[in-house]
Amino acid sequence: MGDHILGKHQIEKALADEAKQISSGRLKEENPLDTSDEFRRFCEASRRGDLKVCQEQIGNGVNINARDEYDYTPLILASLCGHYEVVQMLLEQGALCERDTFQGERCLYNALNDRIRNLLLSYDYSKSTDPLQPLAAHITSLLSRETPRTADIEVYTGDAKFYLHKFILSARSPYFAKKLAAAPDTTNWRLSQSIPIRSFETCIRYLYLGEIGANFGEAEDEQAILLGIDKLSRQLEIPELFENITNPGDRRQARQRRTEEIERGRDQVNAWFVSNVLRHCLDVETSQAEHVKWDRDNAIFADVLLRADEDLDDDEDEEDDDDLTSDSALKLRNTIGPLNGIPIGHFDSAASRPPSRERKPRRSKLYPCHRAMLLRSEVFETMFASPFREGQDTKYLQIIPVDCSPDVLRVTLTYLYTEHANFSLNLALDVLHAADMLFIEKLKQRAALLISTLGNGTASIVEPDNSRGSTADTDDEINIYDVVRAGWDTRVHRLEEFGARYIAYRLEQYIDEEEFKELVRESANRIQKRQETDTVELIDDIRYYLSERFRLRFEDAFLDEMMDEADINEAAAHVQPERHEYDQLHANENPVDEGYSGSPAKGLPVDEVEAPGTIVRTLDGEIAGDEFAQDALNYQILLGKIEVLMGRLGLDG
Amino acid sequence: MASHAGRGGRTKIRAPRRGLNGADVDFDAIWTVLEKAFREIHTKNASQLSFEELYRNAYKIVLKKKGEELYNKVADFEQQRLGQDVRTQIVNTLSAPLMLSHGSGNTLTTASERLSAGNKFLKELQQSWDDHQVSMGMLTDVLMYMDRVYCADHRQPSIFAKSMSLFRDEILRTPVHADQPTTLEILTHIILDQISMDRDGHPIDQSLVKKIVYMLEGLYESVHEVEDEKLYLSAFEAAFLETSAEFYKEEGERLLKESDAGAYCRHAKRRIDEETNRCRSTLSEMTTPKIQQVVEDELIRNKMKGLIEMDTGVQHMVDNDRLSDLALIFELESRVDARKPELTKAMQKIITDMGKEINKTAETASTTPAATGNDQDGVKAKAGSNKAVNQQTVAALKWVEEILALRERFENICKLSFTSDQTVTTAINRSMAEVINLFHRGSEYISLFIDDNMKKGIKNKSEAEVDATLEKAIIVVRYLADKDVFETYYKKHLCKRLLLDKSQSIDVEKQMISRMKIELGNSFTLKLEAMFKDMTLSEELTTGYRRYVANLGSADPRRADLGINVLTSMTWPLEAFRGGAEDSNEARTKIIYPPVVRQLKEAFEHFYSGKHSGRKLTWQSNMGTADLKATFPRSKGGKPRTHDVSCSTYAMIILLLFNDLPPGGSLSLEEIEAKTNIPKGDLTRNLQSLAVAPKTRFLVKEPMSRDVKPGDRFSFNDNFKSDFVKIKVGVVSAGNKVEGDRERKVTDEKTNEGRGFVIEAAVVRIMKQRKELSHAQLLSETISIVSAQFIPDVNMIKKRIESLIEREYLERLEDAPVPSYRYLA
Repeated sequence: MGDHILGKHQIEKALADEAKQISSGRLKEENPLDTSDEFRRFCEASRRGDLKVCQEQIGNGVNINARDEYDYTPLILASLCGHYEVVQMLLEQGALCERDTFQGERCLYNALNDRIRNLLLSYDYSKSTDPLQPLAAHITSLLSRETPRTADIEVYTGDAKFYLHKFILSARSPYFAKKLAAAPDTTNWRLSQSIPIRSFETCIRYLYLGEIGANFGEAEDEQAILLGIDKLSRQLEIPELFENITNPGDRRQARQRRTEEIERGRDQVNAWFVSNVLRHCLDVETSQAEHVKWDRDNAIFADVLLRADEDLDDDEDEEDDDDLTSDSALKLRNTIGPLNGIPIGHFDSAASRPPSRERKPRRSKLYPCHRAMLLRSEVFETMFASPFREGQDTKYLQIIPVDCSPDVLRVTLTYLYTEHANFSLNLALDVLHAADMLFIEKLKQRAALLISTLGNGTASIVEPDNSRGSTADTDDEINIYDVVRAGWDTRVHRLEEFGARYIAYRLEQYIDEEEFKELVRESANRIQKRQETDTVELIDDIRYYLSERFRLRFEDAFLDEMMDEADINEAAAHVQPERHEYDQLHANENPVDEGYSGSPAKGLPVDEVEAPGTIVRTLDGEIAGDEFAQDALNYQILLGKIEVLMGRLGLDG
Repeated sequence: MASHAGRGGRTKIRAPRRGLNGADVDFDAIWTVLEKAFREIHTKNASQLSFEELYRNAYKIVLKKKGEELYNKVADFEQQRLGQDVRTQIVNTLSAPLMLSHGSGNTLTTASERLSAGNKFLKELQQSWDDHQVSMGMLTDVLMYMDRVYCADHRQPSIFAKSMSLFRDEILRTPVHADQPTTLEILTHIILDQISMDRDGHPIDQSLVKKIVYMLEGLYESVHEVEDEKLYLSAFEAAFLETSAEFYKEEGERLLKESDAGAYCRHAKRRIDEETNRCRSTLSEMTTPKIQQVVEDELIRNKMKGLIEMDTGVQHMVDNDRLSDLALIFELESRVDARKPELTKAMQKIITDMGKEINKTAETASTTPAATGNDQDGVKAKAGSNKAVNQQTVAALKWVEEILALRERFENICKLSFTSDQTVTTAINRSMAEVINLFHRGSEYISLFIDDNMKKGIKNKSEAEVDATLEKAIIVVRYLADKDVFETYYKKHLCKRLLLDKSQSIDVEKQMISRMKIELGNSFTLKLEAMFKDMTLSEELTTGYRRYVANLGSADPRRADLGINVLTSMTWPLEAFRGGAEDSNEARTKIIYPPVVRQLKEAFEHFYSGKHSGRKLTWQSNMGTADLKATFPRSKGGKPRTHDVSCSTYAMIILLLFNDLPPGGSLSLEEIEAKTNIPKGDLTRNLQSLAVAPKTRFLVKEPMSRDVKPGDRFSFNDNFKSDFVKIKVGVVSAGNKVEGDRERKVTDEKTNEGRGFVIEAAVVRIMKQRKELSHAQLLSETISIVSAQFIPDVNMIKKRIESLIEREYLERLEDAPVPSYRYLA
């Protein structure tokens, strides 16, 4: 840490000041006490480095910046216990580590190693932004954005003219909500002449979640402007605005208030989104979807309809062509063909069945949306700005198909409108792809985060309690091949890493599978196409995690040196007294053993007798010593298997 | 995972339903659709196409790892379209005049024909370019996923860049017809042609050309779009600069022959502005500095010398005070070279020439009368030389005034025309210094100038005017190299002013000294200040003496009053008062004072030695003045009348002799000399003013003639008449005048002697510090120290070093590779 570190007395003084400010109500407490069970579990998970539980709790809405009865925040716990991944995840999701605050300095001070400390410093608040800031910035930018045009109401004041968005006005100001509900087709609105333009401008900026300066010029002007703001804020029923302006306070207070303000804004938009966009979602038969007609002047001010066709589930495989023929019959546009058809499922890709009319008709959902918000996706931005059909005004709202399921579209829209990205794991890959297709980078990252944390493939320090039982579970939970491929397709490195680690920890399961071989081949091809290097990234990664997996164990037992000497007996003798502990800790070595031995039955560890080259030692050793010997051998054997695999694929490295 | 209750009660990462794992896409079918859409786009029929559909199709292809195929297909499609449809259209607009003009000169067709044909071609080209860009923009939008994913991963240029390079290759780089120049060459030629029309005053369609230039700026040599490989730079700019250089070279030469310098400057300036404007309105801003460089090179840098030396060049402008033209030249040259060598050189030459002229006039003014003074002898010669001396003084003043005027003139030019530019100002100053130092009597003349001003010039002047005068004087002093010579003269002149009380204002004198102190440093004014100090001390001494006398009690009404100046002998150049070298040998002959005066003298000596023991007072009676009350019996209407006579001490002594004579008695010259012991020269001079000058003829000389000759007798003039109560006896040749040749020799000798000491001091100081030093180094260090005071003569330094070695301050190092010295402590 090159920077200065505050002295203890300075920190204490800062703490006392802060406490005073909080008790006087001027400052919001950033780390409120939380003694709920959920938070306790969250803290516990942070302490143990359990990514999955942490992610779950965050998903459940636990305050990430709260503290427990010992004044620990999850971030402090994770950094103290040295869980880099957890720290990173917490920071990504908005945990605060701000220098010059008591908790922030404490966090830095307690960090287990420099790697974590540097991570924390890199997230110091000056760099990390409020997670809602992008949303706020986008909404503010709507005020100045020229193309594509998204405004649907003109507000005049004096000789100035503002192009605004009815849905934002309506979401943010109860006054507008009422007025616009009464007359949704209003296209202009005249403001009383007596209010200075600057006042109105300020109010609008406020409604659009922009930062509001406190400088209103000379005393006289300022008076008039403030008066105008006061009047307007009462008229528009946004009393907070005037309060905020008249009560500036210091930098930190201002920032807190801004955060609060954006949060409130987001909640308002969210509420509005739920009660308007989602509520007005149309569920129609796919064949009818094209015929839906929405007037441009509608009660929720939507200016475009997004259409998502339902998935054809595995158990009701509907045929592509069916869809197509009906589509082509109905559609006005002449560019049909097999393209509109959506290839379904991932295992029945080859299937091409004849049309089966008796099936239940496929359904589609239509979401009435606002271009202004969709612009957050670059694809939509380009689309609406282009001279193509989507860029033109039509009498009825255009229906734009989005190539994903209605659920995924809902997740996407929710993210675009509200920055909320909580969705279930089973949607994660779909969301990942949709986000990739629409260039919504942050949603993509969120989906990847979800998969890599909830997917339970982390190098969690805590081993599953019942290793044997859970292995089967995880197998079902996740198709790691899909995940890795999705990582490649969508260029999310995190997923590649996750996949490699996941596989490494269960290598004995996968090493012999045909699809694994295929995956390795794909990985090799990917790399060869990119540059002329000879290593296979996937294998490199797997080897790395494999060594991590075993080395951890060796280090735990202080056996590194002994392993080098390959004197297992001696090692066993030393370790014997501690045996039970290790048994518990490394209980899941058994499946490792099974994987190696290829036995489907959950046999005893002694099974390894069958392994060539281990006979002598196992015969000599006692059972207690076997676990460690096993690890070493298993490691060697797995590496050997990789070699063989690579050899067979004709790859170096 | 309570929250995620999926089917079967377990959460599961569902495989993605779409895209990724679907069946292989039917590439050809999709491509057909895309291609059709692209055609529509190119024919501006996109409004009915669905962006979403096209995007999705492209997205799927890329996702299916067919990005490369798609990319190549699009590229092929564009190549075909450009190479066939678009190119044919463009080639068709190439009409005969354009093709003819290329290669076979421009004479065959008129400018307007070429212009309209060229415009047609440019318009078509520009139109296709615009269309291409718009369409490709749309294609890029649709193919966004391909650009972002396929192109980024495979390091391919974006499809937009690719299509731009296709445009370049297919349209611009392809020959119009076989064996003919490429479109690009024709294009370059047309633009150059139009620009030359523009230069000749034919209006052209600037915005059209500008658009084409935009196109060239948007295209690059390679698909990587390296910033400095713009097609504009590689294909057009070089040719443009080359033709421009030729054009301006020719034009510059023609103008030098045909017009005058002022017009040339204005033209060059106009051309530069024109080119700047052209870059803005017709070409690219990138070219602005380069074309300026070309114009500057051709019209200015290569022509500057010729321009300055023209008949109507700088000399002419200075002579006629064409300040604005000078400013133009300055502006032009400062464009090409911050040091402005040519102009500086020219200005320096002019100053030197003009300065030499002034010097020469002063020289002749000072030498001519001296020459005439020689052929006469006696009274006339004396009077003639006196007059000549006066003339010379006038010449000296004139010289200074002229130098000042010259300086002012050029300073003015500098300020008004050259924006007070540092380099030019320095150069001009250097030339001024050169001129002033070239004139070997400069120091004396300047001191005289100050003297004159102190005595007369500042009379009745306001403070500001006085200030300006002082400033002027200082300005010239600043230029002087031999400051020590100046010091000598100034001291001498100051001395006379002070002792003879000729100065108008002591305050102004002091101001002058403090200014010199600022300009020339402390050591320079040390002695001058000491002179002022002596004056002040003397005043105190005088009052002190008076009080002392008053306290003696015995108030003797006959006791004469005494005002005394005690001068430190080293500081005061007392030789200035000796008429010349003639009496330097018989100096300090004991003057015989009349008893009253002797009494006074002894009393003061007593008083002084009481105050300061061990000091020796030497009376400089030749410098004193005396106030007498003289009673002439038949002065006014026969009644006796008393006049206040102010005269020199010598005159007083002489007059007092006549007090003791009986009425009608007379003394011969020899008698007077014997009785007073006044040096002969002084005696003659004083007698002259007492017996010859009509207004102060207190004595009657026998015989009556202008000159005092041995054997002449003098008697008291009882019949003296005057209307004035106060009479001042003029002291002949007491004022500050130009030195005669002999005087100057003395001064020079003294100066050299002084310099010798300064050099020795410097050498010793250096050697004391360095202990051992090579000859060359010692020389250079000495020069650098000494040059604040004067420009030393190397020989003199060598001699001084020799002398120091003789006196064993230094010794030569025997075994040193280069001649060196060691300091002997």
